[in-house]
Amino acid sequence: MIVIAEKINATRSAVREIIEQRDEGRLEDLAQRQVAAGAAYIDVNVGTGNGTRQDEIESMQWAVSRLLDATDKPLCIDSADAAVLEAGLAAMGGRPAMINSTKADVKYLSTVMPLAQRYEAPVVALAMDGQGIPGTVEGRLNACRAIAGACRDYQVPLASVFFDPLVLPVATDAGQGKVTLNTLAAIKAEFPEARTVMGLSNISFGLPGRPMLNAAFLQMAIYAGLDAAIMDPLNADMMQAARTGDALMGKDRHFRKYSRALRRQ
Amino acid sequence: MNEQEIIEKIAFNVIQGRVTEEDEGYDEGLEGQPAVAELVQMVIEQRIDAKKVVVNALTGSMETVGDKFDKGEYLIPDMLASAECVGAAMDLLGPHLADAGVQSKGKFVLATVAGDLHDIGKNIVGIMLKGAGFDVLDLGNDVSSERIVAQVKDTGARYLGLSALLTTTMREMGAIIKTLDEEGMRSQVQVLIGGAPTSQSFADEIGADAYCRDAFHAIDILKQMAG
Repeated sequence: MIVIAEKINATRSAVREIIEQRDEGRLEDLAQRQVAAGAAYIDVNVGTGNGTRQDEIESMQWAVSRLLDATDKPLCIDSADAAVLEAGLAAMGGRPAMINSTKADVKYLSTVMPLAQRYEAPVVALAMDGQGIPGTVEGRLNACRAIAGACRDYQVPLASVFFDPLVLPVATDAGQGKVTLNTLAAIKAEFPEARTVMGLSNISFGLPGRPMLNAAFLQMAIYAGLDAAIMDPLNADMMQAARTGDALMGKDRHFRKYSRALRRQ
Repeated sequence: MNEQEIIEKIAFNVIQGRVTEEDEGYDEGLEGQPAVAELVQMVIEQRIDAKKVVVNALTGSMETVGDKFDKGEYLIPDMLASAECVGAAMDLLGPHLADAGVQSKGKFVLATVAGDLHDIGKNIVGIMLKGAGFDVLDLGNDVSSERIVAQVKDTGARYLGLSALLTTTMREMGAIIKTLDEEGMRSQVQVLIGGAPTSQSFADEIGADAYCRDAFHAIDILKQMAG
């Protein structure tokens, strides 16, 4: 499992404070703890909801420059605004980064795909379009097809794409878990060279016993073809759920990662 | 790398269970470093004495692995990974062993008895025996008594290893020993048995020469037999 560590996200109040106060000590600490816990990428989202686009650009430049010193891991530059994405990518100084994200909407594709091409960066692509999240597997797969078409147009290899089948809470529609899982499988069947990613915790929103729901869903998703997850690596139970799923799917030869994690406890 | 370094690195990688350089080891972060296959290739290219590799790098490190397994530090997959390393090294070294004057410790016929499909333990034993210098003929699983006896006869094997994992199939072992007796071959071959339902008392009951708790125990017993 490729773990994209989610904690540096300014929608969390603690991180909003870090960003607004330019608290580099706490920012670096948060990155380093996530790396030590097994993150492959550190997601960076500095959208505080306050201030202007220019504020967000400056926040992104600051965060990226601090994180480049704090870790060797690639960052995952996360914004809904292509100008912020570009500022973050430029601040990487040639070091590898991931783009989070685009969707099947011409406004996003025409601004984000050229960045993916220019920076040779992997890109998270959401299985949705300008109208929102399709409720069916076929609708989400159509969004992926549009994104794959844009990949051809902008010369971004499909191997650089991480399709996100999207996760909606099952509390409001019990069928949604299966829509996501079947979309994952359909993406793997139609675009075998592409990879898949998703954020997990949304599945259990509004229900009790969330850790078990999240872990079970993660493992079902691994079976359906999940390659990467945007998740909290500091959550040891979820990390071991991921390793367990990978091991049972034969992706962890000799159970190296699985056993090593249990030895550490 | 000089001879000593290569041999030490082979021993280290057998314990880590890394066959090729992309393999993960028991410990973290070893990916990308040369492993057993690459290092044994250097042995061949640099014409290092293959006997030294077997004695100093393979046998000793499998004893270490055996100790770690006995202590519960290593688990079955760890042991399998190390056994794979020894198997890979022996396959690569095979043609060079005779030149180096390494003599086979004898022919060893190995089989899981008729009606029994379990072969994980038997396979580990096979790899370990190879690493220990035996000329192993593994007949596979669900092997009929007739075939086992015929193979012992044809090869003139000095050792026969029988495995059974079921209480219903372990009785086959006694039948095989009886047939060896009737054919006048019993004194030619030492019969070693193993598998979860078997025991020393069962070995005594059917007239086997030894009961082996696990692959490492088998190697110990063979050392004693060779005296």
